[in-house]
Amino acid sequence: MKLLVPFLKKTIRKGALDIMVAEWLFTAFSIVAVLGSAGLVLSRHPMNGAMSLIITIISLAGLYALLSAKLIFALQLIVYAGAIMSLMLFIIMFLNIQIKDLPEEKGRFLYLIGGAVLISPFAAFLIKVVKTLPESQTTIIGNGFGGVNEVGLVLFQEWLLPFEIISILLLVALLGAVVLAGKRRLK
Amino acid sequence: MIQDYLILSIILFCIGMLGVISRRNVFTVFMSIELMLNAANLAFVTFARLHESMDGHVLAMMVMAVAAAEAALVLAVIILINKHKGKLDTNIFSLLKG
Repeated sequence: MKLLVPFLKKTIRKGALDIMVAEWLFTAFSIVAVLGSAGLVLSRHPMNGAMSLIITIISLAGLYALLSAKLIFALQLIVYAGAIMSLMLFIIMFLNIQIKDLPEEKGRFLYLIGGAVLISPFAAFLIKVVKTLPESQTTIIGNGFGGVNEVGLVLFQEWLLPFEIISILLLVALLGAVVLAGKRRLK
Repeated sequence: MIQDYLILSIILFCIGMLGVISRRNVFTVFMSIELMLNAANLAFVTFARLHESMDGHVLAMMVMAVAAAEAALVLAVIILINKHKGKLDTNIFSLLKG
């Protein structure tokens, strides 16, 4: 105990404990994210897949918080997990998909193994590229990095034109969805 | 740590690509595309943290907006396909076969 207290004080003062907790959180969130995406690819019914994707999205929100992206963390939870995924779940329930409506997909595990073999050189190449990047710690940055105020300043000063184009894109998508899925004209 | 985040993003992107190329359910293919967009977002935010600039956050927001627009359109198309063909198979897209 006499030895432990100064050691703990020293580590806490250095911020080593924060880094250790952040690493544990990163490990937990990344394992949950990979398991959720594997569940999405492997599950037969789209409802199970959508639930797995929601788990992945929520754990990615946790990773954004660890990267001190506060606004993106909130937007990921509100827009992705809240709006997009609930729209998708609504459509899946609206279509009332039974197990007999789904495609057969008899040899899908064979296809998955073949696809993994095809993709693995690509992944190995990308990981090799990433390994050449400089390593740096990801401690939480204070002074408003990633907050609403700072990101909003960057968005409305440097990215104003792309922002307006995105708004036009959303309008076009709205019109397209209404035209596509709206009431058919009488023949 | 930065490299670990980027490797996680690569793994998620490859799993999404696997879902796109090896599944035939329309919903699963679409959600795999969403997973790939999420992996790209994670890479954007990681690079923003690496360079301590917030342009990556803005790009991630734009990717989210594009994903929302894409979701609305794709779900409309899926409703139409289900109404006309009664199936959720990507093989019904092969209409141009001679």
